[in-house]
Amino acid sequence: MLAQVSDVVDACAGQAECVTSYSDFLRSWLTVGIFVALGFVMAGAMLGIAMVLRPSSNRRGRFQEQKFITYESGVDPVGWSWTQTQVRYYIFALLFVLFDVEAVFIFPWATRLEIYDLFGLIEMLIFIAILALGLVYAVRKKVLQWL
Amino acid sequence: MDFNSGQFWSSPITYAVFLPAVGALVMLLIPRQQEMTHKVLALITSLVTLGIGIYILTQFDYSAGSRLQGVVDTNWIDAINARYIVGLDGISLPLFALTLLVVPLCVIYSMDHIPAPGNAKAFLILILVLETGMLGSFVAIDLVLFFVFFEVVLLPMYFLIGVWGGEQRQYASIKFFLYTLFGSALMIVAFLALYFLTKNPDGSAAQTFDIRQLQALSGSSIGRTTQLLIFGGMFVGFGIKVPMFPFHTWLPDAHTQAPTVGSVILAAVLLKLGTYGFVRIAIPVLPEAAQSWAPIIGLLAVIGIIYGALCCLAQTDMKRLIAFSSVAHMGYVMLGIATLTPFGINAAIFGMVAHGLITGMLFFLAGSTKERYHTLEIRRLGGLLKSAPRMGWILGFCSMASLGLPGLAGFWGEFPAILSSYNPANPTRATVLFGWSNEVVFRIFMVLAAIGTVLAAGYLLYLYQRVAFGEPKEEFADDPHIHDVNAFEWVSWVPLLVGIVLLGVYPNIVFSVTNETVAPAVQQIAAAVGGG
Amino acid sequence: MLAFVAPSIDYHAFAPELIVVAILAILVLVDCFTSDYDKSSQSSVAGFGLLLALIPVVTLAMDGTVRGMFGSPESGYAYVVDTYSLILKALFLVSGYVVVLLSQTYIAEGDYWEGEYYQLLLASILGMMVMASARDLVSIFVALELLSIPAYMLAAWRKRDLKSDEAGIKYYLMGVFASAVMLYGMSLIYGITGSTLLTEVAANLRQFPAGQVPPIVVLAVVFVLVGFGFKVSAVPFHTWAPDTYEGAPTPVTAFLAVASKAAGFVALMTLVFVAFPGNTSTIEPLMFALSAATMTVGNLIALRQTNIVRLLAYSGVAQAGYMLAPLAVYGVSGTVGLQAIIAYLLIYAAMNLGAFAVVITAARKTRSGEISSFGGLIQYAPSLAVLMCLFLFSLAGIPPLGGWFAKFAVFRALVGAETGWGYALAVLVGINSVIALFYYARVAKTMVMDPAPDGDLSPVRVPFSLRAALVITAMVTVAVGVLPGLVGHFTDSVTIGAALGS
Repeated sequence: MLAQVSDVVDACAGQAECVTSYSDFLRSWLTVGIFVALGFVMAGAMLGIAMVLRPSSNRRGRFQEQKFITYESGVDPVGWSWTQTQVRYYIFALLFVLFDVEAVFIFPWATRLEIYDLFGLIEMLIFIAILALGLVYAVRKKVLQWL
Repeated sequence: MDFNSGQFWSSPITYAVFLPAVGALVMLLIPRQQEMTHKVLALITSLVTLGIGIYILTQFDYSAGSRLQGVVDTNWIDAINARYIVGLDGISLPLFALTLLVVPLCVIYSMDHIPAPGNAKAFLILILVLETGMLGSFVAIDLVLFFVFFEVVLLPMYFLIGVWGGEQRQYASIKFFLYTLFGSALMIVAFLALYFLTKNPDGSAAQTFDIRQLQALSGSSIGRTTQLLIFGGMFVGFGIKVPMFPFHTWLPDAHTQAPTVGSVILAAVLLKLGTYGFVRIAIPVLPEAAQSWAPIIGLLAVIGIIYGALCCLAQTDMKRLIAFSSVAHMGYVMLGIATLTPFGINAAIFGMVAHGLITGMLFFLAGSTKERYHTLEIRRLGGLLKSAPRMGWILGFCSMASLGLPGLAGFWGEFPAILSSYNPANPTRATVLFGWSNEVVFRIFMVLAAIGTVLAAGYLLYLYQRVAFGEPKEEFADDPHIHDVNAFEWVSWVPLLVGIVLLGVYPNIVFSVTNETVAPAVQQIAAAVGGG
Repeated sequence: MLAFVAPSIDYHAFAPELIVVAILAILVLVDCFTSDYDKSSQSSVAGFGLLLALIPVVTLAMDGTVRGMFGSPESGYAYVVDTYSLILKALFLVSGYVVVLLSQTYIAEGDYWEGEYYQLLLASILGMMVMASARDLVSIFVALELLSIPAYMLAAWRKRDLKSDEAGIKYYLMGVFASAVMLYGMSLIYGITGSTLLTEVAANLRQFPAGQVPPIVVLAVVFVLVGFGFKVSAVPFHTWAPDTYEGAPTPVTAFLAVASKAAGFVALMTLVFVAFPGNTSTIEPLMFALSAATMTVGNLIALRQTNIVRLLAYSGVAQAGYMLAPLAVYGVSGTVGLQAIIAYLLIYAAMNLGAFAVVITAARKTRSGEISSFGGLIQYAPSLAVLMCLFLFSLAGIPPLGGWFAKFAVFRALVGAETGWGYALAVLVGINSVIALFYYARVAKTMVMDPAPDGDLSPVRVPFSLRAALVITAMVTVAVGVLPGLVGHFTDSVTIGAALGS
């Protein structure tokens, strides 16, 4: 279908009056339509192919026990999956990721310190000051305390 | 104050228009409990406004009624070249005066007739805001300014009907509101189309909302089909307000449910905004389209006359009957306008004033009847002449005026309108109705309209007979509530009654003013179409 | 290696943003060192800071020169401070200030986190201010995220309320989805044109002759605009709006309905007028369909609402439809359409914030969002009822209240285009205004004509901050209606193309 559309464009390219606003309008929206259709086709095809290829749990009357295991053909899960984790790990992890990402911005500056000169220094100081403010906030909200 | 100063701050028109709004603002600051203060303030405001109006009437140069007088032309919204232009000429002056007269009378009537659920403060504030809107609409010479004032009228009326109305008030008020707003939405689109499509003689876009300029330019510079469409937009907008036949259904509900004063203002002034719009804007600005639309307008007007009259005969509620009679009477006004002759349009303007006085008076009577009997069911009324003889006589007088008895104002509204349709403008022009010529079509209309007057006599006399004659009904025989006309009613009614007689005996009061304006305007229309 | 040249930064042009950043830092500091039980300083600092940031906006406007940064006169600039962006920054700051006024008692009395609330609010406003000046795909995207992410959290601020949780999560998921779609479109545009600078994008896109625009350009343009369709809650991307509006704390709802929506429109206008001025054949039909669907569907669903906030949400959807309308003829109407949208945004902000202010105030007594609970308001709080009528009828577009000029400006842009599509849309706007009037009038009717549901006629106490918000919004609504020149004065000089050399 896409090929046909581009054929039309090519056919029109030679003759100036061939291009009308109507065909232009319809053609440009055809693209969007095709794209949406392709999206559905793609997702459908992937699911469909998987459905055909995968061993079904009860096709031809065969019951396959491993279909009901959490990790198919992997390690057998042991114990109950609903275990609780201390929420503070989450907050620590979040803080870590936060500051880790900010460090990414600091490294390039550090390697080119002398080129960026005073301008870079001031900019970075402001940047770090704002980060420090975040840390102060975290401390004051007692996020860094364990219990 | 100098009438022709042309300055915003020294023009009496400006003061007349905005004084009621200022009065309303002052009242807003006074606590609700001080009812008497509110009543007195509202009365003073409306009377001072009337005083300014009388001053304007004395300053008006009646020998030059065709010219706009007291014109103020200042910047308002520069972005779209909408200006604050106001002025009066022979067309607007009678209606302007009518408004100035009716509002104080309504305030006087309200002195001891604040309808349930009370709250004089809000009630009177709304009436004053209404007055500003109505006066503004009649003096505005700029389409946007006209539109704004036209809409200012909506909200107070919505609340007047919705809060102080009868049983079905909420249904009636929203119906009134939606119908009118629908019309004005189309109207503003039509106005904008005029703004953009009107070209100067040199081909540049005029981009103006000034009615005077549009009148000079647009007829010749806009294509025929477009003109017809634009006129259609305005036709719906104004036609709903009039109301013309297929758009009239809001009127009986609104009138029946509105409080007395609301009905009076609605009948006396608000309906005229629609017809005034035709005469002031639609026809002069787009004369060619007006020619094509005229037979359709005439047809709908005649349908309105006959249909309104037949509906009247079927009514059991006095107020609803008067409301339908409004549909019929406005039909005569529209028929006069549709002829596009000076005679017809003169008759229409006279009809507007006469209808304002007479129907306003009839609604006052209906309100007072309702107050005494707590019902308007015609079957239950009767013997008004016995239980309240003066009121009975006034009702009889107004019925006679309404059915067009010569010597009273109603006659000069109806009779010339019918007469004028014998000789419409462009008699040989083929119309959309079977291709018959204008002359043929309008003569048919004339016959039908004449039949309408017979029907009018029928329903009005039938109404009067059942309400006023005979013995009072059992249930009301010794009711102490049924008393004769009281002082407040006398004060508010006498000016209207005097006006009805005066206009009936000496109609030239209005005709002499309007004729000056109408004749040149209509000749202009004829000239625009290449003499017809 | 080229020597590094520090970009020349015009600190005057940046002053409004810098002030907001500084206030944000002060807010965090103050929050760190005040007692958890008394955070009243937060709202004052936030409100004061927003007003402070207005000062440079005013001085910049009086100065009047167009200031561009990060770019060159030839290629255009990535960050531009001109009349267009200044007007919108002022809009964001003032409406932000009104939202702070609305929030003060609501947040303080409601046992919510107070410090963070104002910090997030300011962060979001900062994002909007950046959005007004951004003329680069990347900075537009960053601004969008900066304004959205705090808003996601704010929507879920009533933490223990299921509806608020739903509001936050719905808004978040829909917003992220929209961002993803938009980012995909932006990446396509970058791929096609090789630049993220909007002026260069426009120049490169213009190389395709009319009628031979490659399909991928259409796709890219549509994806970017659809992404912002979510932000402005255009049908069919509006589904999050009512649920989010209903669940979120009411001041936040006001913020989302006014400022956040305005920011979406700002981005839309910048993109359409600066980046895609030549793609009329793609964008105009899209905008026509979006606008027509948005106003019609929004109005029809609003007719059935019984909750005032949901009603305002759907009315906001419909209003977005009116605002989109000028974009459907932008190829012809050009600047007039741009000015119409800006005028609409300014007036809409005043009247909608006002309506929310009344709802918040009245709900202090009624404790409910049901329309029926507002019955008899005129008896125990007459001024509130009158103000609400004012705002509602202004939204409906009845002169002489501000809304009429907004609608008028839209009509003017549509009719002025003198195309069949323009007229059709104008008539549609007209019909929709009438439908809309019905539900606005219904609310007014309940307040004025119905009795109080429980017969309780004790008066409503109006705190000072809410009183201030009501006065500000009411004054603007009425003043603009009577003298539309007030808005016209600001919007008339707005152009977006000229300053950028396009």
